[in-house]
Order: sequence, then structure tokens, then C-alpha cells
Amino acid sequence: MPVKSPFFPRTSDHCHSMNWKEWAGYYAASSYNTLHDSEYFAFRYSAGLLDITPLFKYSIKGPDSADFLSRIMVKNINKLRVGRVSYCCWCTDSGKVIDDGTVMRRSEHEFFVTSADPSYSWFSRFIRGYNVKLEEVTDKIAGLALQGPTSREILKHVCDADLDDLKFFSTHKANADGFQLDVSRTGYTGDLGYELWVENKHALKLWDAVMSAGKNYDIKPAGLDALDVTRVEAGLILKDVDYYNALHALTDDRMSSPYEISLGWTVNLDRDSFNGQAALKEESEQGSKWAVVGLDISWPEIEFLYNKHGLPPEIGSHAWRKSIPIYTASDKNHQIGYATSGTWSPILKKNIALATVEKKYDKIGREVQIEMTVEHKRHTVSAIVCKPQFYNPKRKTSNPNSQRS
Amino acid sequence: MICAAYLAKAGRNVLVLEKRHVLGGAAVSEEMYPGYTFSVASYVVSLFRPHIIRELELAKHGYEVIPMDCSFLPLPNGDSLARWADPQRSRREIARFSKKDSEVYPEFGKVMTHMGKLAKAVIDHPAPDITSINPKELANLFRLGKVFKGLGADLLHLNTKLMTMSALDFLDQWFESETLKAPMAVSGIIGTFQGVRSPGTAYVLLHHYMGQLDGAFRSWGFSKGGTGGISMACARAAERYGAEIRTETPVQRVLIQDGKATGVVLENGDELKASVVISNLDPNRTYLKMIGEENLEDDILKEIRRFKMRGSSGKVNLALDRVPEFSCRPGDGDHIRGDIAIAPSIDYLEKAYDQAKYGEFSTRPYINAVIPTLTDPSLAPPGKHILSCFVQYAPYHIKEGAANWPQFREAFGDTVVDTMAEYIPGLKDMILYRQVLTPWDMEQKMGLTEGNIFHGELSLEQLLFQRPITGYSKYKTSIRKLWMCGSGTHPGGGIMGASGELCAKTMLTSRAI
Amino acid sequence: MTAAVTLARKNKNVLLLEKRGVLGGLASGEEFYPGYRTTGVLHDTSGVRSAVIKTLKLENFGLKLGKSRPAISILSKDGKCLQLHGDVEMASNKIAKFSQKDALAYKEYRAFINKISGFINGLMNEIPPDMVNLGGRQLWELAKKGIALKRMGKATMMEFLKVAPMSVADFLNEKFEINFIKAGIAGPAIYGSYTGPWSSYTTLNLLLWECAANVCVQGGPQTLITTLQKAALDAGVVIKTDARVDKILLDELGCVSGVNLYNGEEFQAPIVASSITPRETFYELLKPNQINYTIEQGIKNFRSRGTTAKVNLAVNKEISLNGNNEVEFARTGNSFDDMERAFDHVKYRQFSAEPVLDIHIPTLNDKSLAPKGHNVVSILVHFAPHYFDEGWSDLTKDKLLNNVIHTLEQYSPGISSSIVGSEVLSPKDLEDKYNLTNGHIFHGEHAVDQLITRPIPSCARYSTPVNGLYLCGSGSHPGGGITCMPGYLGATMILK
Repeated sequence: MPVKSPFFPRTSDHCHSMNWKEWAGYYAASSYNTLHDSEYFAFRYSAGLLDITPLFKYSIKGPDSADFLSRIMVKNINKLRVGRVSYCCWCTDSGKVIDDGTVMRRSEHEFFVTSADPSYSWFSRFIRGYNVKLEEVTDKIAGLALQGPTSREILKHVCDADLDDLKFFSTHKANADGFQLDVSRTGYTGDLGYELWVENKHALKLWDAVMSAGKNYDIKPAGLDALDVTRVEAGLILKDVDYYNALHALTDDRMSSPYEISLGWTVNLDRDSFNGQAALKEESEQGSKWAVVGLDISWPEIEFLYNKHGLPPEIGSHAWRKSIPIYTASDKNHQIGYATSGTWSPILKKNIALATVEKKYDKIGREVQIEMTVEHKRHTVSAIVCKPQFYNPKRKTSNPNSQRS
Repeated sequence: MICAAYLAKAGRNVLVLEKRHVLGGAAVSEEMYPGYTFSVASYVVSLFRPHIIRELELAKHGYEVIPMDCSFLPLPNGDSLARWADPQRSRREIARFSKKDSEVYPEFGKVMTHMGKLAKAVIDHPAPDITSINPKELANLFRLGKVFKGLGADLLHLNTKLMTMSALDFLDQWFESETLKAPMAVSGIIGTFQGVRSPGTAYVLLHHYMGQLDGAFRSWGFSKGGTGGISMACARAAERYGAEIRTETPVQRVLIQDGKATGVVLENGDELKASVVISNLDPNRTYLKMIGEENLEDDILKEIRRFKMRGSSGKVNLALDRVPEFSCRPGDGDHIRGDIAIAPSIDYLEKAYDQAKYGEFSTRPYINAVIPTLTDPSLAPPGKHILSCFVQYAPYHIKEGAANWPQFREAFGDTVVDTMAEYIPGLKDMILYRQVLTPWDMEQKMGLTEGNIFHGELSLEQLLFQRPITGYSKYKTSIRKLWMCGSGTHPGGGIMGASGELCAKTMLTSRAI
Repeated sequence: MTAAVTLARKNKNVLLLEKRGVLGGLASGEEFYPGYRTTGVLHDTSGVRSAVIKTLKLENFGLKLGKSRPAISILSKDGKCLQLHGDVEMASNKIAKFSQKDALAYKEYRAFINKISGFINGLMNEIPPDMVNLGGRQLWELAKKGIALKRMGKATMMEFLKVAPMSVADFLNEKFEINFIKAGIAGPAIYGSYTGPWSSYTTLNLLLWECAANVCVQGGPQTLITTLQKAALDAGVVIKTDARVDKILLDELGCVSGVNLYNGEEFQAPIVASSITPRETFYELLKPNQINYTIEQGIKNFRSRGTTAKVNLAVNKEISLNGNNEVEFARTGNSFDDMERAFDHVKYRQFSAEPVLDIHIPTLNDKSLAPKGHNVVSILVHFAPHYFDEGWSDLTKDKLLNNVIHTLEQYSPGISSSIVGSEVLSPKDLEDKYNLTNGHIFHGEHAVDQLITRPIPSCARYSTPVNGLYLCGSGSHPGGGITCMPGYLGATMILK
């Protein structure tokens, strides 16, 4: 049976719909109301509050922490300054992605790492020779994601961090009423937002403080269904949906390199050895087989298909995660890839998807065909290849009173 | 029974002769105590080949297997470990003993899946004959070679490790927690005269890991109505195709004229003529009793005498007044609806084996227990239960001599009950009836030579093209018109159905009948 | 040392760096007690490859190679002694005194060994096939091996495939009837292993030893070392002792560029060949991030549980074992169950009160190793665990010594009162003194999965994924013991 996070007394109070699911062995609310739409709009127009405790969390301390993490991650963690956060992935020896997550440098010798899959075993395999202490704190630290345009103002009423100054992907310790928390300006919605980390015993205090502060800013508890829509809009990939963990993938075909899942930008190649370096070097020179792209699916064509049956378009407001074949524009039998996640984007008024296609078809603006089943019949509709980041508002990265964003 | 069904299905005239009054051999259900149906010997199923179930339509004939959800390990210190079909649940349980192990567990599963694919390529076909240059054989070898090559060097090396290492050493390369390794390692030694540290036992780990139940890879299950339910389904299928089955018809020997089998002689003296005879008895019994030494050439005789039997297990079946509860995790919850292992540590398991090496049954044995009545209440009166205990080690060759086993039967039974009682308070007061089967009893009652449940050790030199003897691994014997199937032939022991199927198909394609 | 000579003969510039003050590792003899010397920690030279000796012309430097394996005394607890000669006829005659049947069986046994040695020695004395790149050429190499296997003749091949996986107890029980003889023959199957005579695959280990045991180095392993040293210097090898390597240096491309020593010295070289254990090489001589995860895990899983201890005794009189005072080598064992019981203890991290002894009395060959009339008894003790529950200390080493002496007393009554000095090397001592991972005398177990593909697939042909780094010690094919083969093949690979 799943276990309850420290926030369960609060989340269960709000979850009138009883729409729970299991996330990493915890109960997680899919949506608090029977429809997730209001929670989505909270994320986009005010602020949504999401329990992210189920993320796997690790504390790495010691003089060799940066070297240790640099060995494991594709990014050079030695270059990460104190108070900064890095989003990256880590690979096997053959350069295939195991998982993605964030690395936060809390001090010179102190790091906090989050991941989607349990990673204690993997990290601990590299400890030999490094003066570090690795500890899993998943069950000790509770987390909340506060995301949306009013999130900064809300947080100002919760803790003393200088939020106007806190840059995108930075982290800082802060004091609240009766407890301390770590605030990082990170998130999974592609918008202005923060992740808040506290010891379990302060979890409910944090929740209450945030909800109380947010009353005047239209805060709403938000569930994973709403999050899913926002993350597709933001172009953020999800493990087990858009790619497989190489350690668990049953065949080599199911494994992906960072370059193949739009994480090539996280790779720092030329430095001291790290896991997968030789293979990644080779791939960066020879080219990859696949690429992750965004798809903007033709709305008129969808409308047309439904109209033929006398129906309005029934796209549904939930994000989907299925494997849907993609073909070239000219030949409906020539498959070049598959979509893995998608959604109707209320804020962009578009039907969008994340897809994996053969590298040579990843040019922005290329037209492709994507399969669509309408009234039990298979069709294809056009889609345009675009950058996966469909939604990228300035406020995600900007600071008030600052020239730069 | 499977062989009979396939042959009958192909239109042949088949007669099955069973010595006992019940069908099934060691895969049998018997009402040993009024109202209680015991799976007397074999108690779980997993390796039964799915294509056989389909081809013989066994589900129509009553083949019903209920999957086991859990493997439970009670510990003497009051703690326990349960591993579930639900991976997150298992992860949390294992993490209590070792966080690293809980994460490595699915990685291990993935690797065993790859190894399982290779094993399936071997067991679902007749054994490859590496000595032959017959084109069909070479094609068979080539096919296998391709599967091997597809694995890559690292997995190939891993396969060598799996075939030759000990179960414990193999697990040591993945896991750190003894609490996890002990119950996993024992699946490598079930039915063998080896310990968890003995080289060559890692392979048997796979044998038991490979279970394919209605498509769900790896799961084990109970047959409804006891293990005999499977045998009865097979029997009904065979009869449906036209085979005739006679029970209480023991065969004394095979009729041999001019080096050819022409029928059988029953123990009552009757002779039955047949164009072909097939023996499902173990190799020792088939060759030495059914054929007889006088009909065997010296080199065949030498090879059969070398074929190691060496039973190492016993069975204790208990009819209970109520549900047996474990003090470390009380209640009749899901955790005891699967299999229960008494394997508290590696040293415990190894000590149990060491004792057997020197001719004694283990004072504190390894026990694999199930309470089948929790999932199939039809096996006992309402509210009453059965505790079925598979026990190692009970060596056939005790130092006093195998024929003296009956003198030790009750002491053996007591040892098992005493051990279980350490985990189940009040067990002794619940027992309504007790059946104890020593290797000697299995030999006497079910015709298992030396009580070996697999009809012969599953060690590498007695497998594949060397099972039961080199040159006769494709179901023929050294006597023309006499064939063999059963666990003593490829692919070996366990309730697989494979040997019967492959034997029948070999006979049909070679137009033997 | 073999690698050094092989390379130098082909005009390579070779520098040999030895941590200790003397060369030879486990093959070097020492004064273990004032006035008493051994000729090596290991004493079995029957597996030295004569082909290598000939190729390197070592006989020109003083090496005397006997043409057959030395005689070995096989001892029983009830006072019997069988002199098992290297020559089959002589051995058979001696056995006949105990059993005619066994005498005949022994001849058949040695004939079987002869039949399979072509194939076995071919396998063990060549660079292993490339299993990583299974392309056309490699498959052909494998096919050739398969053909060589078939050339043994169908019957022999089938018999080999039948018996190789068996336990040595089952194997020998089929052939012989006298217990102490069987147990004695079985010795090499379990020496330096984590197995007892009832363990599967021990027959393979016995057959490998039997096929290779064809010679005898006069004067023991130390002579081999002295000869190799002379040959090396003659060929231009520069030898430095007391020169412990700290790290292997890699350049910015990750290729070998040299080594630096503990004393600060640094040497540049494009190739480094290491004959220390694989784990020492990768874990100690390189930084953690210089080897990839596959190597790290593979080496970690390369089993090398040391189960051998060494006891050297200085004895002030003549020695006779079960009445025999001529034969240099002796083995105890007595019965398979006795040997198995000695092994059982090590599984529980204990050592037995009655271990199996592999005995060498070098003074029977070279009197200068001890004062006049005195003797050295050099014993490899099976089994003593590296990881020992009580921990190795002077106290526990004394216990071990007492067990050994007490056991020896059965074969040489009165010996305990003649011991004037002794040395005990526990597996921990062997580890510390010779940098042997877990004190394993063969640098890693001779288990089936650790032979040929040794130590791990990516290093099985002496080169390693670290460009310029080669392995050429007992942790490589064909394994441990004193054979000269890993060094020779390693050097051959380097030259290729």
C-alpha cells in the first residue's frame, strides 16, 4: 500500500474528488476537484500548491562532494556556485540516461539532489575514493511546489528570503514563523515558481503558512493532472513516459542518450572523467539517432475530422501519455517516430505534443503527420515540428526591477 | 499424461498404465485425512509451459492456477520480510533491511529476464547435440548460437557465471543484505543435494525464477484442488483425445524381444502388446527395472549407474484446526497467502546442508511452507487449514542406511514441527493430523529413486544432451521402440509438461508410431 | 619477470619495478627464522611451461628443468604412505601395494589425462579468444577450438564433458577404491579455492592441474626467480627494488604516460604492464574516476577469497612422514569427508582443528637451507579464511600454528618437540606482505567463470580499457600458480 506524506492531513482534507494515485510509493492527489481545470488555471493565473514529497532526495556532504557529483552527472558540478541549482541527468558507462533531476549547492561542501527514481544504490557505487557522506533524505524532508504568477508575492508573506532578488534556479535558506526552510526557484510548470523544502515535522506548519498567505492571492492546492498539462506546455520530459531509465530498460533500443531527449545542453564534455563521457563524446561527433521535438498539431484538421461525424472536437482537457505513431508529410506509411505526451493547452489554445523522431526530421518548421483516431477510425493529421518549450513566459526567469530577465 | 494427450490428439491409440490408485506421481492430491486434500508432494506450479496449456486446451479440462502474490520470510528476532508482486511495496519492505538492495532488486529482475529468455530457448526445444554433424542438429545449434550472440559479451559472461557459480556467490554480486539473499538463494538448491554456497546452484535459481503463469512472468501459483488438479486436467485432456487410462495397474517390466520392446508385463503376470512403449519413470527405474541389466550393454549400464539421484528433501503435511499465525506478523493477511520460507540466515542454510553431507537430516532445516487453504478453501472443511512443508535437507543416504529411514520418520517430522513452532506459537496444539514423507517413503510410494524429486540431479553434467545419458537425450532409450519422457529427460524437473510434449512431438516427427 | 624478459628480448626498453627488497613475490624464498630458508611461499613448480623456458632460453642461465613432475607422498592418518611418482609406471607399481585395481585405474586415469591434455593445454597456453568482438575471425578461432575438442575423439570428449562439472569426490570415487589415495590425488583440485572435494567443478580444476603438471624446477621457485633475474639483466632490463609504485599516470587523453613511486620518483612510459592483482591495479594504482563503472563492478565481483595460510617450521632433526624420509613433497587429506570438513569451517569464518596440509621439505633437495642435520618444513595450510570472525592476531595465529603442528604430529610423531622456530603467514599477512587481494595466492579464484575470461571480459586478453595498461599476472589467463604463462602471453599481446 502507498504511504502518506507529511502533508496528507491537509491534502486529504482538500481532496474532495478522492482522485488519488500512487507516486513513488506515496499517495498523491491526481486532482482535488473532479475536474482539474481550476487547478491548472491556478498554476497559470494565480498560484497552485503541489506536494512534491515523493521525489527522491539525497544529501551529499563533504570536501569531495563537488568532485563526486561531477563524476556522476553529465554536468560539471564543480562549476556550480553556492546558492545555485542545476537541472541535469546522469548516465551509464555507455552514455544512456538513467534519470534526470536537480542538484542544489547549498554551501561549498553541501549538496541536495532530487531524482524521479530511487538513486541511492547508483550514487553509492561511486563513493570509493571520495571523502563524502551520502544520505537519502526522501523520508525526512517534505517538499511543496508553489507555482504561478502570484507565487512570489505569496511567499513573501511566508518567509524572509529576498525573493525579489532570488534568481531563476537559485536556492536559499529562509526563516519562517517557527521553522526554517530551503527555497529554490525551480519547478516543473515552466512558469514563475518555487520549491520549498522542510523537515517533516514542520510540514504542516509550512502548508498552513503558505495557504494562509495565499488566501488573498487565489492559491489552490493542485494535483498531478494539472501539473501534467503545464509540464507538457513547458516542454519538460518525464521519465517512463518520454524516455526509459537505462538501468531498467529491457532492451538497448529503449535506452536514450541525453542528446536524444533534448538534454544535450546539460552535457559538459571536456573535463575530467565522468560516467559515460567516452560514449557521449563519440555520439556528439557522430550524431544521434533520435531527437525530442515539440509538435503543434493542426487544429483545423482535427475540427474537420470531428465535423464529418457531426461532432464538436472531443479532445479532452487531460494531458495524455500514449505512444502515437508519426509519419512523414508525404507518406502515411513511413513512420519516423512517435509522440509520447501531449495535451490541449488552454493557455496557448493549441493541441501540442512531445515526440521522439529520427534526428533527420527534427528541423523546426517541418511538417509531419500524426495518427489520430476519431470515432473508431484511424486518420492522420498534420503537425508542425517546433521547439518543445511551447510556453515560456518572461516572468519565469525575470526579477522585478531588473533590466535582464 | 502430456505425452499421452499429444499422441492421442495425433490419432494414436494410447493406453496409460498407472501403478497407484491416483494419477499424477508426485503431482498428486490425496485425501490423507477425511475432508483434507493434501498436495502430498509437489505443492506449487510455475514452470508449466503455456503453449501446452493452449494446445491441449487444459483450461477447459480444469487446469486452474491461482497466482501467489507474496514470498514471506519470518525471522527469529520477530522481524520479517515480505516480497510482493507490487514492486513499490517490495521496495519499501526490502529497504528496511538495505536501501541499496531495494533499488537493485528490479535491476536484478531485468538481468534474470534476459537470462530467462536464453533458458527458454533451450528448454522449449529438444536438447542440442553438440557431437552430431547432422544438418538439423547444426541448424539447432546455430539457432542457439544466434540467441547467445544477441546477448553481447557482458551478458554472455554473466550466463557463464549463472551456470557455474553458487547461488549465494551470484547473489553476493548484487545484494548486500543477508535477509534478502537467504530466501533468494534457497530457490537455487530446492530439490538438489547442494548448499547455497555450492558451485552450480545459481543456474537452478533461474529455473525457479523463470516461471510463466498465464503470461505473467516469474509468478508461482497454487493449483485449485491441489497439485493433483493439474494431473487430472491433463488426464481428462488425454481421455478427451481418446487415450485410455488404467489405475492400480503396476507394470513389472517391458517385454523385450530381439532388442525391441513389444509391450509390457504387469505385476499380475498379464502381458500387454504394443507397437511402442513409453516410460515416465526415472532413468534409474526405467533402465534397471523396466529394461533390466541383462538387456543393457556395459557402457549404457555404466552411464545409468553414474546418473546421480541423491534425494535430499522430505515433506511434512499438517491438517490444522485453525489458521496458523506467525508471531512476527500476526493475522491471516496477504503475507501468508504465498510461500513462506524458513531461512533466517546463510549460515543456518549452510549448516543444514553440511549435516546432510555427513548422513544426517538437518536439525534445523530449510522449510518452504504454504497454506493453500487460504486461497483454495475447498481443500479443507470451513475454518480449517493445511500447512504443507517442503523440507531440506533429508538425505536419502543417512549414515544408518536408507532402509532405516522409517525408524527416523517421526523424529524427522518432529524436527519440522519444532522448527515451524518457533515461528507459529501454538502450532502443536492445532495439529489434527500429520503426514511425513521421507525420501525413502517417496521412493517406496511414488517410485522416485532415492527420493529425488527431479528424477535425477540437475547438475550440468546431467542436463541437456547428457540427460539421462549421452546419446539418448532425445527421448529414445537403448531399446528400440522404448521411449522415455518425464523429469529424467530434457529439460529436467519441475512440473513443466515439456518433456512429455517434446517426447511426443519427437516421436511423431520421426514417425516412430 | 617473464614479461620483462620476453619484451626485452624483442628490443623493448624495459624497467621492472618491485615493491619489496627482493624479486619474486610468492616465488621468492626467505630466511623465515635465523639460519633457515624456504624456496618460495608457493612450492609447486610442476606447472611451469617448458615451452616458455625454451623460448626464453632460460636453461642457459642456470635453470634445470626436470622432465616430469616430482614424486609426492600421499599420507593417511593411520600411518600409510604412498609415493606417487611422476612416472606413471612407477606410480602404478607403488599403488599396487595397496590395491591392484587402483594401480590399473591409475594408469587409465593418466591415459585419460594424456588424451585431453592436447586440447586443455592448447586452451590454457594461448591468448584467449576475443569474446567481446564476436566477429567472423573470432568465431573462426572459436570454431577451431571446437574442432580441437572434437579431435579428442568422441568418447574422450563426451567423457570430458561428463566429468568436468562433477565434484572431484564423485569423479575419483568412480575410479579408485582406497580412500587416502583418492584424497591425496584430489589435493590440487581444492588448493587455493573456495571449494571442498564435494563441490561441483572441482574435477575441472584437478584436470587442469594434471594436464599442466609435467616438469619440476630444481631448487624450487627461488631458482626460477634467480634465473629470470639473470636473463632479464642480460637482456637489458633495468631492475629497481624497494621501488613501490604509487600511481599510474594518464595523460589528458586518458592514455598511460608513466608511473610515479611512493618515494617521489617518476618514470615516463607509454605502456605499463602490471602483474599485481587486478584489484590492486585498478583500485590502488588509478584514481576512482579513471576507470569506468563496468570495470569497477567487474573487478569488485572478481572473487578472490583467500583460504590459504603458510606455516614454516625450523626443525632440528631429520623428518619422516609416515615413515618416509626421502620425498620432498607430501600431501595429507585422508578421506574426502575429512577434507570437506576442513573446508566447512572456512564458510563460517573459522579454521579447522585439522587442516589439509600441502607439505614441502626443501632441505631434502638442498641442505644449505638449514644448519647441518636440520630441516625446513614449509606448509601450505588449507583452509584458513581471510576474513576470520575472531580476527587475525598473534593469539589466533598461534592457534593456527598449534593446529598445524598437532595435525603434523599424526604423521611425524615427536615433531612438535623438534621445532626450534616457526613463521605463520595468515591470509591477512599474505595480503599485507605481497599485496594479495584478500590474501589469495592465485590473485583470484580458479572458478570456471574466472578462467579464460579472466579477470573480466574487457581485460581478458591482457589489454585493458585504459589505453597502454596491460595485466600480466596471475589475475589473467591462465591463472595462478608458478607457470610463467600470464607474463609470457601478456608480453606477446603487448608486442602484437
